[in-house]
Formats: sequence, C-alpha cells, structure tokens
Amino acid sequence: MLGYTVKRLLTLIPTLLIASILIFLFIHLIPGDPAAILLGDSATPEDIAALSAQMGFDKPLWQQYLLWIKNVLHGDFGNSVFFKTPVLDVIADGAETSIFLALMTMFWIVLFGIPIGILSASFHGGWIDQITSGGAMLFASIPTFWLGLYLILIFSVGLGWFPSSGFPSISDDGGLTNLRYLILPSLTLAAPNAALIVRLVRASMLDVSREDHVRTARSKGLHPARVSIKHVFRNALIAVAAAFGFTFAALVSEAVVTETVFSLPGIGRLVVQSILRRDYPVIQGVILFIVLLYLVINLLVDLAYARLDPRVSLQ
Amino acid sequence: MTVRATIYSIFRGRKLATFGALWLCVIAIAAIGAQFIAPFDPLEIDPIARLTEPGLPYLFGTDHFGRDTFSRAVYGARMALIIGFGSVIVALVCGGLIGLLSAYFSTLGHFLMRIIDVLMAFPALLLALVLMTLLERSVLNTVIVIGIVYATTTARIFFGMTLKLKNEVFIDAARCSGASHSSILFKHILPNLWSPLLVQASFIFAFAQLQAAALDFLGLGLPPEVASWGNMLAEEKIYITRAPWLLMFPGALIILSVFSMNLVGDAMRDSIDPRFKNDIAGV
Repeated sequence: MLGYTVKRLLTLIPTLLIASILIFLFIHLIPGDPAAILLGDSATPEDIAALSAQMGFDKPLWQQYLLWIKNVLHGDFGNSVFFKTPVLDVIADGAETSIFLALMTMFWIVLFGIPIGILSASFHGGWIDQITSGGAMLFASIPTFWLGLYLILIFSVGLGWFPSSGFPSISDDGGLTNLRYLILPSLTLAAPNAALIVRLVRASMLDVSREDHVRTARSKGLHPARVSIKHVFRNALIAVAAAFGFTFAALVSEAVVTETVFSLPGIGRLVVQSILRRDYPVIQGVILFIVLLYLVINLLVDLAYARLDPRVSLQ
Repeated sequence: MTVRATIYSIFRGRKLATFGALWLCVIAIAAIGAQFIAPFDPLEIDPIARLTEPGLPYLFGTDHFGRDTFSRAVYGARMALIIGFGSVIVALVCGGLIGLLSAYFSTLGHFLMRIIDVLMAFPALLLALVLMTLLERSVLNTVIVIGIVYATTTARIFFGMTLKLKNEVFIDAARCSGASHSSILFKHILPNLWSPLLVQASFIFAFAQLQAAALDFLGLGLPPEVASWGNMLAEEKIYITRAPWLLMFPGALIILSVFSMNLVGDAMRDSIDPRFKNDIAGV
C-alpha cells in the first residue's frame, strides 16, 4: 500500500509538469502584446515597454516559463494585475464560498441522489424506475444557469424565501445563518450532479444484483429490502465512490456557471472574471490550482478504492 | 441487419426514446426550413413591440429589442444542429484517430495518452473557457473548442476499445496474411467500432448543446448577434422578472433537445456490442 502510494505520488509530478506547460502555453499563445492588452488603449509605448520588462514579457517564452514555475514552486504565483495582490490571496478569498458551496452541494447530492438511485434499481423495470431514471436524465439535460435563474425568480423574487445573490462570510454579522445565501446555488449545482449519481447508483446496483452472492441471499429468503441495501447497495457503493473524481470535475465546471448566476464571490466566478479582465497571473494560478486539486482527489479516490474493495490489486 | 430492422430493434417498446427521436426530427425540419417557417426576420428590431407577451402574431412573444422570439427560436434550431454536428465531427475525427493510433502503436500511444490524461484533468467547461480566450468569438471557433474538449474523452474510449480488439484472433489472421497497418486499422478494427462511435456521437451532441449554452451565457461563446438558444437566454436574462416567459421558450427547447438526444443515445447503447457497452459514458 505504501509503495503504491509513493508510486502514484511520483506519477503526479510529470502530469503536473505537462499541465503547467499547457496552461502556460494557452495563456501565452493569446494573440497580441500582453502588456498592451493589460494597459488598455490609452497606454504610451514607454508604459508598455516598462510593464513588459517588469512582468518579464520581453524574455523568451521558455525563460518566462522557467521563471514562473520556479516562483510557483516557492509558493509565489505572482500578483494579480487587477487586484494588485498576490494570486494566492485572491484564490484564498474565494475559497470560503466555494468550499461551503461544494459541501452543501454534496449534501444534497447524497440526500437525493443515493436514495432515489436505490429506489430506481430496486424496482428495476417498473413504473417507479421509469419515472426516477427518466427524471434523472431530464435533470441532467437542464442548463445549470437556466435552472438557477428560475429558482431566483420563484424563491427570491416571488416568494422572498432566500436571498438572490452574494454570500457574506460566515465570520460577518449573521454567522452560520449566512449559509442561507448558498441554499439556492447549492440546489442548482446539485440538480444535474444528483441526477448523474442516480443513474450511476442504479447502473452499478443492477450490475451487482446479477452476481451469485445476491442470488444466494435471495434464495435464502432474505427480505428484498435487506438484499437491496446490505448485499447490493454496499457493493455498488464502491463504483459510486470511484466516480467521485469525475463528479468533482463536473462540479467545478458547473460551479463556474452557478457562481456567476448567483454573483457568489467564489473561485468559479473568479475564473470567468479573470478571463474577461485578461488577468493572466490569476487565470494561470487558478487553473493550475484546480488541476492539482483534481489530481489529488483522483489519487485519494484510487487509494480509497483499493482499501474499500479487496479484489482490486494494486499492481 | 437492414437499417429498418436496426431502427425497429432500437426503439421497440421504448416510448420515451421514440418521442425523443421524433422531437429531433422536428428540430431538424425547423433547422432546414427555417426561412420558410419563421414568420419574421430573426434579426429585425421593432422598438414598439418590445417585450410583447406570447400571442398573435408573436407566438412566443418578443425580446427587449422587439425581435420575434419564435423566429429566433426556429433559427436557433439551425445553430443547435451546426454546433452539435460540428462538435461531433471534430471530437470523433480528432479523438477517434488519437485513440485508434495510440492503442495500435504503443510507443506513440504512451506519449499521446499522457497528454490526453493531462487534458482530462481540466474540467470540461474550464478547458473550453481557456481555449475560447485564445480565439475570437465565432461559430467555427466555438465548434472547434467544444469538439476538442470532447475529443479527450473520445480518445480515451477509443483507446480502450481498440486495445480490446487488437488482440483478437481475426486481427492476428489479418496480420499473418500480410495486411498493412492502415488496412488493419481502417478495414478490420474501425468497422467494428462504428456502432459505439454512433452512440458516443449522440452523447457528445447532447453535451455540446449544454456546453455551448453555458459559453454563450458567460459571454465567451457564439458572437452575440447569432440567433442561438444560448444567446437568447444570455441576452434576455436581466428581463426575467419583467418577462418570465422570455427565457422559458429557449430554455425548454434546449432541455427537450438534450433530453431527446440522451434518450436516443441510451436506447442505442443497449443495442451495441456488449463488449463495448461499459466503455461509452453517457448520462
């Protein structure tokens, strides 16, 4: 187990290296002089030359990359052009919102996705299954921002139950009650992802239910609900856990949109705004950070997978 | 099996999938005959008729420029098909080739699949957003970017399926009889992958619609003057409280079309080679 963990950690390094080169190239392939774009139309050539020299844009591309990666390894992601503060601080400012949003979304996904998936698989082929799995596919087909806009219209504008935008920190006035700002966003974000989990739980439970040990359990005369939960669901859960990395990627994509709809000061909206503001140091930093997070989560999922399922060999 | 028999076997006893296929036919008819079906010019601005409620002569009402929403929706169907088919072609040609070649030539594959793995660590929308900043907002660029995003998953799937086929006896037989690499790849391996390819295409088509709509919404997709369902939502979102129906029609069209495509893909997946069934990741 330890050997495997070390080996997996070592394979992270080349992956991250390639990812960092790709991110760097993406940003530096953008046509036009970055210094001129940053300064806008009113800048003089002297200003542009000065900023180029200060940001290192006048050096060859590979030198710029090496400088950037050297600084990143020292924990210095550079300064945001827009905020004038270190990129890491900018990311940290968005972290609270995004972490709470992710936790609440996960809560809804587990609360709705798993029971509905079990229900769907247990009544395989019947009308309950048709409604739940059809409904799940319908929910996965809804654009996130469209759902968010109508939730705002109904529950914020119409009924006035929840605030429609923003998220004050829980350390501000109101404390934990400020989490009510995240109820609509997290529901919006959870809808398509819970739908995916329903489909996943259903599919993996149907796979497991064809196995011999389930037939044995049934022929012993165990109650169908007990077979469903103890014998089928518990084994199916392994496949669900393995898909967690995939769910995370989907969640990040949709969080970008959801945070924009609800004007949440999170990392997702930061990405969009940095792209619109052409704030390159922040774009590079945030994307590298998200890729790293994704790789670490996938590594943890794989390690957990090996622990959960003894049949998985680590070779 | 004849085409008719195949279609019959896919849709028999599947009412929802049949409904989905029929709805996609409606969209295709609207897209092809847009200029005959749309009662108004989708770009014609009429300031007097701003934010009219649905009725006659404006079936779906008008937007804040006074443009006819129904006509724009009909032309949006055309854009939806262009985005869908375009992304599918880019994703399948690029992804399919990378997957096929990587599995067949293992040294090349080692390198290419590494890159694909790295690209897959970028969440789909994030990759699309970054690529869109490199390019100008245009229909072609949106198609290319969405196509590239799904080329990564397609490459992975094709890599897996080709690996399974590569060690089959009939490939050995072809090799022993002196068949060239290209003949083995394109005459012996690829024909076995046509049906999973079609299923994958239907899921890419569906996801591409959602992805394109999200890009439009964030202001980094199709140019704002293009009549697409995503742009209709993006432009009218601030009028949602004054004219709640405005976002209902384009939204419903996206949902119905994506849902239908997913249903059809799901039905087709059940009828393909069972060896490949678990390779295709749909909804």
